[in-house]
Amino acid sequence: MHSQPNRFSRQSLALFFIVSLIPALVVAAIWYVNSQTTTRQILDFQSYVLPVMVLGVLPALILSFIFAELLTRPVRRIHRAVLELANGNFKAQFRGQGAGEFQEIGVALDQVAAKLQQTLSEATSETAIIEAERNKLRGVLGAMTDGVFALDHSGRIILFNKAASQLTGRTMEEVAGQLAEKVMPFRQDGELVMTRWLASERGNRHKIGQWTGLELYRADGQSLYVDVQAVVLNDDPNGIAALVTFHDLTKNRQLEEMKIDFVALAAHELRTPLTEIKGYLDILQHEAKGLSKTNRDFLDRTVASANQLSGLMRNLLNVARIEHGELGYQPMALNYLDFVKETMNELQARAKQQERQLKLVVPGRLPTLMADPMALREVIVNLVDNAITHTAPGTGAITITVSRHRNEIETSVKDNGVGIPSDAIPHLFTKFYRVSEMKSTSRGTGLGLYICKSIIETHGGHIWVDSAIGEGSVFTFRVPLEAVAQDKPNSDNTTTSTITRGAHGWIKDHPIH
Amino acid sequence: MAGSKTILFIEDDKPIAEMYARVLEREGYKVDFAYNGADGAKKAQSQHYDLILLDIMMPEKTGIEVLQELRGPDGKGSSETKIVILTNLAQDKTSQEALKSQADGYIIKADIVPSQLAGIVSKLV
Repeated sequence: MHSQPNRFSRQSLALFFIVSLIPALVVAAIWYVNSQTTTRQILDFQSYVLPVMVLGVLPALILSFIFAELLTRPVRRIHRAVLELANGNFKAQFRGQGAGEFQEIGVALDQVAAKLQQTLSEATSETAIIEAERNKLRGVLGAMTDGVFALDHSGRIILFNKAASQLTGRTMEEVAGQLAEKVMPFRQDGELVMTRWLASERGNRHKIGQWTGLELYRADGQSLYVDVQAVVLNDDPNGIAALVTFHDLTKNRQLEEMKIDFVALAAHELRTPLTEIKGYLDILQHEAKGLSKTNRDFLDRTVASANQLSGLMRNLLNVARIEHGELGYQPMALNYLDFVKETMNELQARAKQQERQLKLVVPGRLPTLMADPMALREVIVNLVDNAITHTAPGTGAITITVSRHRNEIETSVKDNGVGIPSDAIPHLFTKFYRVSEMKSTSRGTGLGLYICKSIIETHGGHIWVDSAIGEGSVFTFRVPLEAVAQDKPNSDNTTTSTITRGAHGWIKDHPIH
Repeated sequence: MAGSKTILFIEDDKPIAEMYARVLEREGYKVDFAYNGADGAKKAQSQHYDLILLDIMMPEKTGIEVLQELRGPDGKGSSETKIVILTNLAQDKTSQEALKSQADGYIIKADIVPSQLAGIVSKLV
């Protein structure tokens, strides 16, 4: 910018030389004319040529200088102004300066300046907004605890947030431009489920894929368990073809495993003393002689409580097994009538003790049912236990009815108890649900019906309830004759008809009573 | 009658073994004891029993190992001897393993009382 006045001087100088050439040409012309004349005439010429040159050239010089100045000043001003414009100074005013074309140029420049200023200020505020948005986005991505990364159309990583870095132990620099299946290989049973899905859904805008419990190896070789969600975005102007978020489940999974291990261990450890309590109570019941009626009653109550404790523990363990997908059913050809009668005998003692009437209504004959007797026993025992709990001693009446409905066998447990509020019915079969009105009177864990539902559904059947307040409830379940074991493929003894699983385990060839 | 029948109880928890034995002996069975898996396997191979009641979680050898030793391909146990697992391990996979290893039964201790066990035994031997 500092060279600007110099450049103007140079132009003025050039003009000055051109103008001063005119008298020089005049002199040259005279010289030429004179060359055709005599020496005398030459001498005459020389005597006046100097003053003529001085008088001719000087005004020409002055004139040319003034002219150059007049011509270049507005040009220089405009040039300066344009440079000012280039420098970002839009405040400069040109209007009224110069004359003629220069003034017009000035006005036009003013307009250009004004327009430029407007456009630029708009652009500046837009840039500010974009910048603010970008910072916001960066802040949100950075503050997220879930890992987020974006892929381009070739499946290469183009964005990788802080959580993704922390979870995987890899930096943005390491993963940028790398194939997702190389650096973020989420696997399910060894398969790259996410990248394969993305490849198959390429271009299917807004398609969402979700996976739970995928395995991912950290940079240090440790494995993570994550929930993954991927969205296909083929129309994104930034070239993002897919956006992937993942949530670390490793800790949850470890806790879940600890919980299951704990429940299994606790169940085993608690069963050992319970075995002895129940065992010695049984021996006492058979061997104790001369007990007063009151003492005999105490003994019977202790037995009832020990049995209740045993049932609660079985339920807790069953829930742990359901949660862990370990409730493996072993269906077998079952004489359902014999099975129900056997279960009934066992429950009869309990009902008598609690002063409830227990009745069994069965048809003359039934086809053989494919089912797991140990599991079905859990269902019937839970339903009858509930019925006992919600009826009154003395007046409580419970009826178990078995019937056949086409290819299903139906079993219902009817009581004349307090009944269930209609708003509670939809929640009845969910885990830990207990009817609030009954919390003070019953001692359940809220697990029994959840277990019943799981067992019946695994048999391919269904369970439901009809109830009226003050009149009682009927719990009914139906199981298809050919039970569908939905949980596990055939276990070894599915086809071994010589195995009998009874109430407390299984015995080959001989039923347990 | 049960008078001549012999039972080997392989169980590391002595009070529990004695509790069941009391009722079984009352019913007329002759009950012998082994308090760990290794001793149990030895006894089972040196002497005939009509029934072996076998715990699973034991020192030296687990019940499943004893079962496999007695019932395995080169099994030294008598094939006439019934072997019933009597345990508080209720996992299906343990039960299935016992079945695969040719146990004759699998009973959860806490779910039965001694008089019920006596009833089961009377049907087995």
